[in-house]
Amino acid sequence: MDGRVILNRISFDLEHGETLVLLGRSGSGKTTALRLINRTLEPSSGSITVDGRNIAQLNPIELRRKTGYVIQEFGLLPHWTVEQNVALVPRLLGWPVEKRIARAHALLDQVGLDHKEIGQRKPYQLSGGQRQRVAVARALAAEPGLLLFDEPFGALDPVTRHEMQQQFLQLRSRYHVAAVFVTHDLLEALAVATRIAVLDCGKLELLTTPDKLFSATTPTAKAFLDTLPREAARRAGR
Amino acid sequence: MDTFVIKSLLQDVMRLTAQHIVLVCVSCGAAVIIGVGLGILSTRHRRVRKVSIAVASVLQTIPSLALFGFLLPVPLIGGIGQHTAIICLILYSLLPILRNTIVGITTVDYPVRDAAVAMGMTDYQLLRLVELPLAAPSILAGIRIALVTNIGTAVIAAVIGGGGLGVLIFRGVASLDTLEILAGAIPAAALALLADGGMNLLERRFQTR
Repeated sequence: MDGRVILNRISFDLEHGETLVLLGRSGSGKTTALRLINRTLEPSSGSITVDGRNIAQLNPIELRRKTGYVIQEFGLLPHWTVEQNVALVPRLLGWPVEKRIARAHALLDQVGLDHKEIGQRKPYQLSGGQRQRVAVARALAAEPGLLLFDEPFGALDPVTRHEMQQQFLQLRSRYHVAAVFVTHDLLEALAVATRIAVLDCGKLELLTTPDKLFSATTPTAKAFLDTLPREAARRAGR
Repeated sequence: MDTFVIKSLLQDVMRLTAQHIVLVCVSCGAAVIIGVGLGILSTRHRRVRKVSIAVASVLQTIPSLALFGFLLPVPLIGGIGQHTAIICLILYSLLPILRNTIVGITTVDYPVRDAAVAMGMTDYQLLRLVELPLAAPSILAGIRIALVTNIGTAVIAAVIGGGGLGVLIFRGVASLDTLEILAGAIPAAALALLADGGMNLLERRFQTR
């Protein structure tokens, strides 16, 4: 808005079934990059192509309905039940009520929630972990080809976070979706990524696989590797 | 005091209370439509917000008695009678409704709005499914303020021939007749309390929790 360059010369490709993690410090442009993909932000130059089509030529509303989106703060509609929240995109797409409710039930079960128990609850009656599961279920409801995750598990306790990451891997293979996953947590990046893009000050510093990240020599990648608690890992015998 | 006087006073009270209710309901109804409508537009266009808030605020600062007087000589909308009084009351009710609509919509949690947009809601869907339901308690609180104030202000309508319970009060003041003043003031106060209670119940129904 003020003419500042936030992202510069970033380029990557993504296949179905792949998860690209955008790893970087706060303010490195990860979220901005993510938002360009569902056109909640527009690039000043450059292009983004989904399924062979330049998204600048697509209707942004339709593009977003085909793109799952999960954020750290959940963003559940507080005045709707869990069931209604999960069925949101199917509702926008005009699915009949029975079909979208059945879909919501199936998805709640897939993310590890009992739809009979919590389907009728409001978001404020859930724990943080449950809310995030609902948000993931909502993102998957209309079987999107592409998922955008913006630090989705950042607010969860480490055990719940680990469970959610495992669940994410299961859902990824089940739905064979492409995912772009923003995080500043190296362990999370290593857990879910098929490839990792390290961003620094709006520039793509490194694009690599989780294995090769350990031998990276670029400054931000090294800075992230330095955060690994080696002593703890050694004592835990891993 | 003979029964004839009492009976005719009671008849006056009934008739004027009905007039008072009409004044308040018509003006508040119109103010809700205009205020909420302008409020919604204001959240979409910054210039509409600036102008409408400025105009409504200025209107609110004009003493109510003077506002009724100002409209008297205005052609078409002015003149003696009920319609001038109603226009005054509309203008007077706008600010709380307008402001609370804007506040209600703009204070919807950012992540909620962000997610709703990212899920593919159109602007109309965002308004209808997210913003208005979540802003409802704030909007209703604005309507409540407007309604209760309006019931008091409508008393002044009598000055420009608009009828209502003010007729009794002004007549009582002019003739130093306490009974007549009370015959106008008590029903007006009762109406205000009733409206306040009713709006309170309505507001509670729209709380998210």
